[in-house]
Amino acid sequence: MSVEQILQPYCYAALVTIIAISLYGIVRGASLTKKLIALTIFGDTANALMIYVGYRFGEEVFAPVMPTFEPSPSEIAWFVSTAVDPVPQCLVITAIVINMAITMFLAFLIIQAYRLYGTVSVKKIAKLRG
Amino acid sequence: MILAISMMAFALTLAALFSYLAIKSKDLVKATVFSAGQSAAFALAFFLLMAPDIVLAYVAVAVGIYTVVLLYIISKTERYEGDEQ
Amino acid sequence: MSGRDVVIGIAAALLLLTIMVVVLSGGTACTPSTEIRRLAEFYLKHCINLYNKTWWTSSPAAVTSMLWDYRGIDTYYETSVFFLAIIGGVALFRVVEVKLGAGGREEKKELGLSLIVKTSTRIVFLLILIVAVSVALHGHVNPGGGFQAGSVLAVGPLLFMAAFSRRFLEDRLKLDRAKCVALLTIGLILIVLVIASPLVVGGALMQNQPKYWLPKSPWGYLTHVGPLELSGTLFFLDVAEFLVVSFGFTLLFIIVSIPEKEFRRLLGL
Repeated sequence: MSVEQILQPYCYAALVTIIAISLYGIVRGASLTKKLIALTIFGDTANALMIYVGYRFGEEVFAPVMPTFEPSPSEIAWFVSTAVDPVPQCLVITAIVINMAITMFLAFLIIQAYRLYGTVSVKKIAKLRG
Repeated sequence: MILAISMMAFALTLAALFSYLAIKSKDLVKATVFSAGQSAAFALAFFLLMAPDIVLAYVAVAVGIYTVVLLYIISKTERYEGDEQ
Repeated sequence: MSGRDVVIGIAAALLLLTIMVVVLSGGTACTPSTEIRRLAEFYLKHCINLYNKTWWTSSPAAVTSMLWDYRGIDTYYETSVFFLAIIGGVALFRVVEVKLGAGGREEKKELGLSLIVKTSTRIVFLLILIVAVSVALHGHVNPGGGFQAGSVLAVGPLLFMAAFSRRFLEDRLKLDRAKCVALLTIGLILIVLVIASPLVVGGALMQNQPKYWLPKSPWGYLTHVGPLELSGTLFFLDVAEFLVVSFGFTLLFIIVSIPEKEFRRLLGL
C-alpha cells in the first residue's frame, strides 16, 4: 500500500465528510442566514465531488484543451490518452451559475421575511404561528 | 504525481476544517469569513484537478460574490444567531 | 474544546475511515481510474479533428465546444432558468421607485470610504474589466467563455458600490436598472438570432458546422477570418452570454443595496 493508494480514498472521504457537516448545518442551523451558508457549502462540495470522479490518475495528465490548432493524428492520440474527462466540467459550469442565481433569490426572500416577521431566528418564527 | 495528490489532500483537509468552523460559530460575520476561506481551499483543489474553466468561475462567484451578498444580508437582518447575548 | 467538539471530531474521523475502507475495497464503482469513459473519448477525439470532419466543432477547447455545440440545448435552458430567477428577484422589489440624489444638500456630504480605498478601487476595476473581456473573447480557444467572464465582471460594480456609494453608480457611470435590463435583453436576442439562423437555409437548430445528414445545407458558420480563429457559432454565443450574465448580476446587486429606510417607508412598517 503505497502513499498514493492511501491518499486517493482519503480525498474522496474528505469530500463526503464536508457533505455530512454541511447537511448537519442545514438541518440544525439556528437562523436562516446560517442555513444559507450551509446550503452554499453543500452545493460547492457536490460540484467538487463530480470533478473528482472525472479525474484521471496517471503519470501525465493534461487539461482538456488541445495545445495546437492543427493537430496531427499522433497528437490527437496523445491528447485522448492523457486528457481529463471534460463531461463533468461542462455540467459543473452550468451548476455553478444556477446555484448562484438560486442563492441570490433566497437572499431576497430572507430579507423580505425579516421585514415581515421582525426576526430571522427559526425558533421565534415557529412560535409566531397561531 | 505524489506531489499533486498530497497537495490535493492538504487542500481538502483545510476545506473540511474551515467548513466545520463556519457551521459552528455563532457570530455570522465570522461564519462568512470562514466560508470564504473554504472556497479558496476548494479553488486550489479545482486547479489541481486540471479544471481551469471552473477555477475562473468559482473564484469570482464563491470568494467574491457570496461573501458580499452575505454581508449585505447580515447588515439588514441580525448579526448573532441563537439567544440574545 | 468542549465535549461536543470532541464527539463531533471522533464521529468525523470514523466517517472518514469508513469511507476510505469502502473506496479501497472497490465499493464505489466510479472511483477515478486511469482510463476515461467512452463518451469522453468521443468528445476529445472529435472536437478538433481535421481528418474526419463529420462531427468536428473547429475549437480546440473541449469544454466550450461541449457547452455550445454538443450539449447546446442544455445551455439554452440553463440561460432561461437564470433569466427567470432574475425576473423573480426584480419582481419582489417592484414597489420601489427610488429617486436618489433628490436633495441637493446631501451632495455636500462625503460618502464612501477613504481616499486610498477609492483610488485603488478605480485601478482594480480597470483590471477587472480587461480580464473579463479577454476571458470572454478567447472562450473558444483558451479556458474561459461567457459564464466565467460574466461572473468576473459582476464583481466590478459591487466593489464600486461598497467603496463609493450607490449614487455614484447611477449618476457618474450612468448604470441604472433600466440600462441593465436593456443590455441583458440585447444579449438574449443575440443568442436567439444565432441559434435560429440556420433554420432559414434548411439546417438544424443550433447547428455549427455542416452535417452530412442534412443535404440541403452544405455550409456552416465561418471557422477562420483571415489568420484569426473564429469557431463558428461559439464566438458569438460566448459574447452574448457574457452580456447576459454580467448585467443580470449587476441588476441584482443594484436592487439588494437599496437602503432599508426606503423599504420601510414604502411598506408602511
